[in-house]
Parts: sequence; structure tokens; C-alpha cells
Amino acid sequence: MLLDVKGLDVRYGRTHAVKGVDLNVAEGEIVTVLGANGAGKTSLLRALQGAVRPASGTISLDGKELSAASPAARVASGMMLVPEGRQIFVSMTVHENLQMGVYLRSDGDVARDLEAVYDRFPNLAERRDMKASVLSGGEQQMLAIGRALVGRPRLIMLDEPSLGLSPLFVSRLFDLIVELNKSGISILLVEQNTTMALDVATRGYVLELGRVVIEDSAAALSTNTALTEAYLGGGNETSALTTTGAQA
Amino acid sequence: MLLLQQLLNGVMLGSVYVTVAVAFTLTIGVLNFLNFTIPTLFMLAGMIGWALAYWGLPFEMSGPLPWPMALAVGIVVSIVASLIVERFTFRYLKTRYGDSTEHAIPLVSSLGFLLVLENLVRIGYGTDAQRFPGPGADLTMNIGGIFVRIPQVVSLFLVILIVIGLTWLLKHSRIGRGLRAIAENPDAANILGVDTKRVVPIVFMLTGLLCGLAGALFAVNYGEVSPQMGEDIGTKAIAGMVVGGLGSIWGAVLGGLIVGLIEMLTIHFFGADTVQVAVWGLLLLTLFVRPQGLFGHNSIGKGKL
Ligand SMILES: Nc1ncnc2c1ncn2[C@@H]1O[C@H](COP(=O)(O)OP(=O)(O)OP(=O)(O)O)[C@@H](O)[C@H]1O
Ligand SMILES: [Mg+2]
Repeated sequence: MLLDVKGLDVRYGRTHAVKGVDLNVAEGEIVTVLGANGAGKTSLLRALQGAVRPASGTISLDGKELSAASPAARVASGMMLVPEGRQIFVSMTVHENLQMGVYLRSDGDVARDLEAVYDRFPNLAERRDMKASVLSGGEQQMLAIGRALVGRPRLIMLDEPSLGLSPLFVSRLFDLIVELNKSGISILLVEQNTTMALDVATRGYVLELGRVVIEDSAAALSTNTALTEAYLGGGNETSALTTTGAQA
Repeated sequence: MLLLQQLLNGVMLGSVYVTVAVAFTLTIGVLNFLNFTIPTLFMLAGMIGWALAYWGLPFEMSGPLPWPMALAVGIVVSIVASLIVERFTFRYLKTRYGDSTEHAIPLVSSLGFLLVLENLVRIGYGTDAQRFPGPGADLTMNIGGIFVRIPQVVSLFLVILIVIGLTWLLKHSRIGRGLRAIAENPDAANILGVDTKRVVPIVFMLTGLLCGLAGALFAVNYGEVSPQMGEDIGTKAIAGMVVGGLGSIWGAVLGGLIVGLIEMLTIHFFGADTVQVAVWGLLLLTLFVRPQGLFGHNSIGKGKL
């Protein structure tokens, strides 16, 4: 098992945002985590990357225990989070943003890895020396993914990457996710765009109020619309355009 | 001629303000925190430098040290003091009792350090101003009737070099990118592996270096140090920083120079009593007319380095 999470709890004072979550991602898998607003998806991913300290539970990557590790150590062992709302550095250039993706590295391969990202995203290559603030929403998402990609992670975690993108960009994004997966990167995908996410995923988890309420193959979850709708508040293919509360 | 001399003096005085203003703006730009210990760090370098050059090491371990060495030690003390402040106010209080957006706690505790350190120096060396045994008056050139003191020229170039070095560091080095990332979005920086615990002390180290250097330059150029020497310089540097734009390094440079020039020109035309009115009047005017300062961006806040 690449990522193995057991009994994870996240608390913010009195709010119990993630409750005893067990979750795993095998090498080469795309696993999706679905759930309504406030279900605890972001809290889960942030705990996995080390941005919030879990109250209890264990996290291991490829058998290596990471529960107490710093975000830096998790990045070094091959985990990368593309955070909710992209969180690119708008005061920096496109190139500097990508360099932040290899902040910890100083080996000779950095230049080659940066070029590989530019090869994948020609739009970013053209705008390499421009401030990231001039990019369109879709390009900013590409930059956020590119930034996660430069370090050649083994596992990429994406937090609602389709949020706020045009339908054209959303389908390009899901194509990209499949492509990245084919190139050997395992993916943990948090989405409210249930249909698209289940289309690309192998397995899925449904979170409700911090708890895993369903865990099944993507195919089974896709056909079980009654069940998913009950937990996802009628989440469907239009949700990418209509959901709000990303910053909630 | 006298006016030209005053302009030159204004630039020289301004270069001290510039160095301290850059220290203020660096902490504000990266950590969004007004570091009140800055005037004390400035004073520490001057007073320690004086004590070593006048008395020598404590407990009569040595005779008076040569003044450049004494000032070098003063600068090191100022850097160490700054790191202690980071360790015991910023990091400790912030991680223990504040959340990451809490700025009152470091602000108040840095004010506490200001008062404690300043009064410790008073207890140790008395409150009187002391003559710094620096380079003699023979290092003065007379260029067409204008007196140029060589140490001042050297320090001016030193300040320019340091500011250029600092901008280069922020713009092109990995540490600089880390600092700017924390300044703009500490959370995203953290996720990418930028360790605040390692990067924040760098800001405090640079702060100590800049303030120590400014204190040393002041001691050499004005030949006098005292436990309260940081107060006036500190407030003027804050004024310069605000005029130039919070968080902008070149803004602090320009603002510091402007304040130095205004000070000398008001002394020249209206007398010394009007200096504070002119400087703080300029600051208030700036806040009314262009609150973001000359080089500041249109939003007041973080992430502008
Ligand atoms: N920093 C925080 N401090 C306190 N409570 C928080 C914090 N972050 C999240 N919460 C709370 O934890 C719960 C889970 O929030 P979380 O952001 O993880 O949900 P989510 O599934 O990502 O929601 P969304 O779909 O809106 O992004 C919510 O009740 C939220 O209010
Ligand atoms: Mg979320």
C-alpha cells in the first residue's frame, strides 16, 4: 500500500472535523474522496500533508511512518498537495512558483524537471517570467499542479481542482489527471464534481461530517446514485460551476 | 555652499535611517510584525562597541580594543540579541499562545525586550552619552569648501552595497524565495516544505546585522553613543519606512533618505526645534495622500517584498 491512513482524527478546538478515518491508496491508483461542504475533505488532506496536526491516527507512505513528520519531510518522501483554491504565489513569477515546488532540492536535476513541466504546459512556458497574477483561472490551476509535479512526487493529492473552472478546462483537467496517473503517479482526488471524479477513479470514499460512510469501487459508487446523492446533497456534474463555499 | 553641505549631511544621516528602516520593513514585509526591539539592537552595537573600545572586555580581561574590532563585536552582539528575541518572543509566544495570525503578542513582547535591554545598558553604563573613540578628524577631505568625512563616505557605500545584496538575496536566492513565499502565503509555503522555524530566524539575523551595522556607522560618524540613541533613530526610521511604503525595501531606502534630508533642511532653514514637526508632518501627509507610501502597493499589508 502506498498511502495508508488509520484512525485519523482532526480537531479544531471543539470542532471534530475528521473522525477516525481509515483510507488507503495503492501504487498506481486514483482514489477519490467525495463529500458535501464541510464534510472534512480539506482537513483530511491537510492532515495528510502535515499542515494540521492530527489529534490521533497514523499516516504512512510506502510503509514509512509519517504521522509526526514535518510537511517538508512528507514532501521529501514524495507526497504533494495541490491545495484548495490553488494557493499559487501571485507576487511571484510563474517560474518562481514552479521553483517553490522544488524548494527542498538542490540537485542537478532541478533544471531538467522544470523543463519537463514546461513541456507539459506550453502555456506556462510562454509566461515563464510573468507574474502569476496575470494567469487565467485555468492556467493558475495548471501552475498549481505544475508546482506539485516538478518534484516528481509519488502521490499527488488534489483538493477540489475543478472548482471555478470553465467546463472546457474541467475536462482538460480530468484528462490531465488520467495522464499523470498513467505516467506512474498515484492520485488522491477530493472533488465535489462527483460524476467526473468517479469517471477517472478506481475507488472512492464518501465522507459525511468527518466520517467515512461509504467506501466502494468507483463503478459501484457511480451506479449507486441514490446513496451518493443522499450524502452529497445532490452533488452532480454541474457542481463544478455552481458550488460555492470553497473558502468556507 | 552651506546648503550643499547640509544636503550632504542629510544624505549621510539618511543612510543611517535607511539601514534601520530596511530592518523594519523586512520584518513587516515577511512577518507582518513591527519589531520594536530594532532601536535597541541599534543602540546595543553602539554601546557595546563603545564599552569595548573604551574599557575593553568585562572583568578586566583585556585593555581597550581597537575601535573597528570593538564595533565588529558590537554587531555580533546585536545579531545574537536579535536571535534571542526571535527564540523567546516570536517563536515561543506565537506557537504556544497565539495562532499564526496573532500579531499583538510578538509586538508587545518585543516592546518588553526594548525596555529591558535599554535599561540593562543604563544600569551597566549609566545614562550619559559617551564619546566614541573612533577615527580622528584627520580623515576629513575639503572638496571645494564642502567637508566630506571619509568614514561617512565609506559607510554610505556600505549601506548601498548591503541594500543591493539584500535585494539580490530576496529576488534570486532560494532563501529569498522562501521568505517571499512566507510573506505572501505562509500556509502554502508550509505545504511545499518551507520550514518557518528555519526561515524566520534568518529575518531576525538580518535585522540584527542591519541594526548593528547602523549603530556602528552612527558611532563612527557622529562620535557619540548613549543608551537612548536608538529612540530618535528608531522613530525616524519608522517614519521613513511609512513614507517609502511598508514592506518595500527600496521604499525604505528612499524614505530614509528623504527623512534625513528633511531633517537637515529644516534645521538649516527653521532651526532644530522644527525637525519633529516636519518629519511627522510628512508622515501624516503621506498617510492622508498616499497611504501605501511612495513605493508601496495599493494594498496595505503583506507579501510585498
Ligand atoms: N482552521 C479551522 N478552524 C476551525 N474549524 C475549521 C477549520 N478548518 C475547517 N474547520 C471546520 O471543520 C469542518 C470541516 O471543514 P473542511 O474545510 O475540512 O471541509 P471540506 O469538506 O473541505 O469542505 P468544502 O467542501 O467546503 O471545502 C467544518 O465544520 C469547518 O468549519
Ligand atoms: Mg475543502
